[in-house]
Amino acid sequence: MKSRSFNKGFIYIIHRGGVGFTAKHTARVIEAFIGEYASGKSELAINRALELKSQGRRVTLVDLDTVEPFYTLRPLKSKLESMGIQMIGFSQADSFGLGETGAMLDPRARWALMNEGDILLDIGYGVHGAQALNLVEGVDQTPELKVMAVINQSRPMTSTTRDIQDYLLSLGRVDGIISNTHLGDETTIEIIEQGNHIIMEAAAALDIPVYYVAIDKKLQTEGLENRFPVPVKYINRFMPNAIW
Amino acid sequence: MGKIIGEPKKAFITGNEAVAWACLVSGAEIMFGYPITPQNEVMHYWTRLAPKYDRRFLQTEDELSAGFTTCGAVQSGVKAFTATAGPGNVLMQEPFGMAEAMRLPLVAMIQQRGGPSSGTVIYSQQEVTLTTFGGNGEGHRIVYSTSGHQEIYDYLIKAFNVAWKYRFPVFVLGDGYQAKMREPLEMYDPEDHGIELVKPYPLIGLGGKIGEEREPSHLCNIYSMEEELYDVVMKMAAEYEAITPQLMEWEEEFCEDADILIVSHGVVARAAYDAVKALRSQGIKAAYFRPISLRPFPAQQLRDAIAKSGAKKMLVAESAYGQFERLLKQEIYGETIKIEHLFMPGVGIIDYDVIEKVKSIL
Amino acid sequence: MMAAPAVPKSWYLPSKPHKFCPGCGHGIVLKALGEVIDELDIQNDTIFGCDIGCSLLSWDFFNCDSTQTHHGRTTPVMVGIKRARPELVCIGYMGDGGGYSIGSQHLLNSAVRNEKITLILVNNTNYGMTGGQMAPTTLPGQKTETSPFGRDPQLTGYPTMGPEFLAELTSEGAFIARATVSKYRQLKKHLKNAIINQMEGNGFSFVEVLSTCPTNWKTNAQQTWAFLEDQMEKQFPVGEFKSPWGKGVK
Repeated sequence: MKSRSFNKGFIYIIHRGGVGFTAKHTARVIEAFIGEYASGKSELAINRALELKSQGRRVTLVDLDTVEPFYTLRPLKSKLESMGIQMIGFSQADSFGLGETGAMLDPRARWALMNEGDILLDIGYGVHGAQALNLVEGVDQTPELKVMAVINQSRPMTSTTRDIQDYLLSLGRVDGIISNTHLGDETTIEIIEQGNHIIMEAAAALDIPVYYVAIDKKLQTEGLENRFPVPVKYINRFMPNAIW
Repeated sequence: MGKIIGEPKKAFITGNEAVAWACLVSGAEIMFGYPITPQNEVMHYWTRLAPKYDRRFLQTEDELSAGFTTCGAVQSGVKAFTATAGPGNVLMQEPFGMAEAMRLPLVAMIQQRGGPSSGTVIYSQQEVTLTTFGGNGEGHRIVYSTSGHQEIYDYLIKAFNVAWKYRFPVFVLGDGYQAKMREPLEMYDPEDHGIELVKPYPLIGLGGKIGEEREPSHLCNIYSMEEELYDVVMKMAAEYEAITPQLMEWEEEFCEDADILIVSHGVVARAAYDAVKALRSQGIKAAYFRPISLRPFPAQQLRDAIAKSGAKKMLVAESAYGQFERLLKQEIYGETIKIEHLFMPGVGIIDYDVIEKVKSIL
Repeated sequence: MMAAPAVPKSWYLPSKPHKFCPGCGHGIVLKALGEVIDELDIQNDTIFGCDIGCSLLSWDFFNCDSTQTHHGRTTPVMVGIKRARPELVCIGYMGDGGGYSIGSQHLLNSAVRNEKITLILVNNTNYGMTGGQMAPTTLPGQKTETSPFGRDPQLTGYPTMGPEFLAELTSEGAFIARATVSKYRQLKKHLKNAIINQMEGNGFSFVEVLSTCPTNWKTNAQQTWAFLEDQMEKQFPVGEFKSPWGKGVK
């Protein structure tokens, strides 16, 4: 059943006359970023998109935030497009006149996995956790999908090992964790280290891998990577410019 | 009440979450709310936190109900609050009026959005008039206009204390930017900052045997005679005025010597402050004044700032079309300083806007 | 010397004689309610909430704690008190305008939420305090100051049938009844059940009481009673519409 559906996706892409979906290309990256409100999902999705783009890959970034659609990718859409990222999601202008929030889903997001190349899904926070992936067709038939939980230990509801464990369990499917502790402009390496330590404790208890720790490029120093037991990725912060 | 935060700690947080945490550490027992952007996450986080701390929540059928249920809860001696914005704030003026009339220690967080009507869900400072003088009363309320998360947290703690100490409704006036933006917040239990929480007490449901141990408590907010109401309102006015010196809150800098005094409130004051520093570095003698309490308004403090600075001009900057300026003008009536303004209704103001405006009028 | 009339212990004597018009039904409702408060011994735990309109004349009627609200807003105030202090017995008292018109959203939604409060709605088919305007309960053809040629259902619909719709809306545990001041024992029984139901924590409790308004109806005693018993009770059937104990029990 699983493989047959998968083939359907394969045929669909061939029919579109695209690059094709050969075995070589199954190494495509499909990642969903989930996590708590203000944990850094959009930030990490953007950074990941730009990283993949810089490797010459085709990247589609999908805005699936339906609970908190203000502080999302929308205001950054045109900027990211100019950097070569394909964006699925409404721009601010698209939500004109929609009043309350424009808490709505771009229909193209539903079929996002049918796009070629790498797909990054930015999932908004909400009580349904990873269940929000049900909004996307073909999730079950996408073995490459990795559901990444973004955790900032400075967030009050994910500040202890216990809280983080409870939170991760509430999310449903989680394949790995991105350790993203920071305090905005007041971030120090010590804060990141301490946060990462607590996150890793929670991750170990649940047997979930920590993929990497995200650190603002501004804090990059020689040999900093050696202070962390997991890979370090340096990121640029785009979201402070994103509020509406 | 046991400790909630424990060791004071820095957290990376949004303003709406700061509201929920602040109400929690202030001892609020129950929130009544109705969905409206941009305050929704106050409810989202209160409902996540409340059960862990044995607190309660009711999502009511509308803002009228959210306001009146809050009135009922505080009458019965329980710390309660609500949060709203825009058209919801309009509806809540009815219950807020009752809170004013009955001197109910109601606390409400207002996250301003654009108006008139449904406007935008984003941001503005257009609920100043409504929040300070809304309803069919005399504005006997206390309104704090915050500029960021730490103040949201600090002033909500203060709001509950002031409300229960003086029995006037207290409003913390934020906005959509403050609601949604993320920045570090120092979270603490009030006791650890030397703040004693004022204990709530019932106005009805007083216990004891009525007729033997006490008389019944009949709360009243409607009067048959003009003279009766006159006495009530005059007494209220006198009591309000008597406590205003303790309630004034403001911030000022560079007011000792300036050519231009920049006055703003709320989140715009952050831009104004940056602008003043930038202007100073460019040799322009600008000063910064910011009322934090809009009701009561720190009028004398502003008059003093005008006098001691020697400024000939004042610039009023606000994300509204003069609501704050009107409030200010009536409070400093008689001053001869020339008042210029930067009105950007429903739109954010950044330091650049203020700097450009100052250069165009100096 | 005339003996003092027997009054419920829970009445607040300094506010007597009360201010309702001669022939008004409110006094009968409030007497029944007073006796129920006495019999249940809840005087010290009762919060009596009054709506605006003639209902407000009862604000200091009882030797119980009470609160005045706004027109239509007694329901949410009672909800707020009950949610904050569940041990209190919260009784909201309102007219047909306050309950069925301006406060209908509160009535409907508190019923749906099965709020553990007791609401008493006095139906006299008009807005009494404001001078006899048409109410949601005005009978077809009935003249009021704002339906001077008689209520035309084509223009303004038919009377609101409160207990009927509330019985449909509410879930298990609710108590819904309609009483009339012309049947005192039944009225008192319904009021008592509506309060016991709250005290047992079963659910929302509501009693509509058909009442009289000779001042605005411009009727003499005989006509007043005839309007109540012949016309109102025909339009608004009295009885128990929903009960957690099954019909006739309690």
